[in-house]
Amino acid sequence: MASPCEVLIDGASSAQTAELAHLAAAEVWRIEAHWSRYRKNNIVHRINTAGGKPVKVDEETARFLDYAQHLYQFSDGLFDVTSGVLRRIWTFDGSDRVPDARQIDAILPLVGWQKVDWQSPWLRMPAGMEIDFGGIGKEYAVDRALGLLRAQTPLPVLVNCGGDLAASGPHLDGSDWQVGVEIPGRADTPLMTLRAGGLASSGDAHRYLLKDGVRYPHVLDPRSGRAVTGGPHTVTVRASSCTEAGVLSTLALLHGPQAEDYLRSCGADAAVWW
Amino acid sequence: MQLKNRRQSLTAATLTLLGTAAAGGAQADGRSWDIDSAVLVYSESGGRVQAIEPVVKGTLDLGGERYFSAKLVFDSLTGASPNGATPASTPQTFTGASGGGRASVTPAFETPLDDRFKDTRVQGVLDYSFPVSANGTLGFGGTVSSEYDFLSAGANLRYAHDLFQNNTTLSVGLSVEADQIDPVGGAPEPLTRVATGGGGGGDDEGEGEGENEGGGGRTQSKTVTDLVLGLTQVLGPRSLLQLNYSLSASSGYQNDPYKLLSVVGSDGEPDYYVWESRPDSRLKHALFARYKLFSFNRDVVDASYRYMTDDWGIASSTIDLTYRWNFAAHHYLEPHLRWYTQTAADFYRVALYDGEDQTVAHASADPRLGAFDAWTAGVKLGGTLNSGSDWSARLEWYQQQSKLTGVPAQAADGLSKFDLQPDLSAVMFTVGYRFKW
Repeated sequence: MASPCEVLIDGASSAQTAELAHLAAAEVWRIEAHWSRYRKNNIVHRINTAGGKPVKVDEETARFLDYAQHLYQFSDGLFDVTSGVLRRIWTFDGSDRVPDARQIDAILPLVGWQKVDWQSPWLRMPAGMEIDFGGIGKEYAVDRALGLLRAQTPLPVLVNCGGDLAASGPHLDGSDWQVGVEIPGRADTPLMTLRAGGLASSGDAHRYLLKDGVRYPHVLDPRSGRAVTGGPHTVTVRASSCTEAGVLSTLALLHGPQAEDYLRSCGADAAVWW
Repeated sequence: MQLKNRRQSLTAATLTLLGTAAAGGAQADGRSWDIDSAVLVYSESGGRVQAIEPVVKGTLDLGGERYFSAKLVFDSLTGASPNGATPASTPQTFTGASGGGRASVTPAFETPLDDRFKDTRVQGVLDYSFPVSANGTLGFGGTVSSEYDFLSAGANLRYAHDLFQNNTTLSVGLSVEADQIDPVGGAPEPLTRVATGGGGGGDDEGEGEGENEGGGGRTQSKTVTDLVLGLTQVLGPRSLLQLNYSLSASSGYQNDPYKLLSVVGSDGEPDYYVWESRPDSRLKHALFARYKLFSFNRDVVDASYRYMTDDWGIASSTIDLTYRWNFAAHHYLEPHLRWYTQTAADFYRVALYDGEDQTVAHASADPRLGAFDAWTAGVKLGGTLNSGSDWSARLEWYQQQSKLTGVPAQAADGLSKFDLQPDLSAVMFTVGYRFKW
């Protein structure tokens, strides 16, 4: 995970805080090592280099793939863990290098969960396709780490990894956690409150392309292979877990100009910044 | 509204993903049961056996690749099945054992059926599997099954070992089952005369009267031991091969206590009837091979062959083909074709010739021990709902064609006027639903 993580515990001694933070960090690193697509010796690497052969996955990855399948159906194909290969043609470096239709058409055959044969614990994917859990891996790690800490202490705990966070309950005095949301291009930091559950933000941040006056944010529709334009800069969602919040904020961004309608239709507790 | 439901499904799926570590909710224990439920309706033509069988199985993922499952099967059977007697030119009367001596009359030229074939069966199965090493999985289970005249208890132990980065799996399984049979009216003494009702079976009514009363009555038992050795091999990017060898040894009471044979004269008409007699042990060997092929990056072809042979002289072959056509993202259509053939048991006899019941050691006219071919053809439609639940519906037709064997030579002419082995057809309909709970 490229983001710094922090653990806040209300009413704990510094020794206890250090011990629990260590526990949380170990869990976050474990998940990162397990699913990072930058590593060579993990399950994601084995899946992505299987060359079309079936791969038997471990129980945790199986649960994640079940979840990925659910998300694909839930979102009508908008949330797709196979969409990572689009990065090969979309490089969000602030330049005007927007890929052309020919490039997009060439890569699209490698995108689409429906092409994956997933019969737990066996995954078989056409050669050249890749999966990437980056879209929800961080939020999952936050929830898992919080889960471990909850088992250790009844004290209120908050785990925060780069703005995606989860809390076990309100402060000891009953007050909510105050969370500052960083909006790119805005001087102030709007505050949101969190009592228990998760909070996650998605945004196009500093990663975009600019061509002919159109801003192409780092938000790609796996169905068309194209960037979703005209959407908000940042969406922040509060939900019962960080993972669920992350899914909803990501999907809202993918709905572009209809982001708010989408959040409303899902009954999501969200804030949107354009 | 629909999206709100979908939101609930997202919340539920997320809790499942997070397992016990689910954050911020009363449902912190996100462990859920995977419930597989189905109802099978089976109907044989001509008013023969009708069955309805609901099944529910729950699997609990305990984490760390440990799984616990519990299954409950309920069977309800009604209708009639052949009692083993051949047709006759005059009506035949049989006394049903479970009907409290109620007699049933079979019209001339018809296959006598045992119409007291009503039964309910309840079966419960518990199973647990867990890893014992990085590559080894151990499983064990127990099962109990009960019918009004039958009680069965079994246990099994299995071990699977993954090799070569999970490209190869070797497995071994052992199971033992003990059955207890309490036939209604007692277990008849094999090859003794069957007490018949008045007016039946030609000119010698009463000849066998009472001979089987008290001839049985004791509880009968049987034990079955099964050994299965398996190999599953990933052949390449798109195919899998599975090979199984199984050995099954059964000892104890093998008879069907309600099946009889006609003892006929050279005219083919029954003089009297005797209870069937089977050996008291049976040893079966079977080889099974399955090939799975992923085709068009979308579909799955599943082809299997099974060969079975036993020391009763039965050899059977089964060829089974299914094609899973994933025609849409969340739906599939699966045509299915199966061909089955078996040879008859050495002691299978359509009927015995007069006096032969005194000389043979074993004889049975149970059509299931005769030679026949059978086709099963069907189609299954299934899909996944937005909630992540799976549903399926399957319709199948079964057609069995008998091959006449075991006709006593001295009575062959006399018997030739009867349809000795009527063909059987059946329709099966199954609906299934799988969901998280």
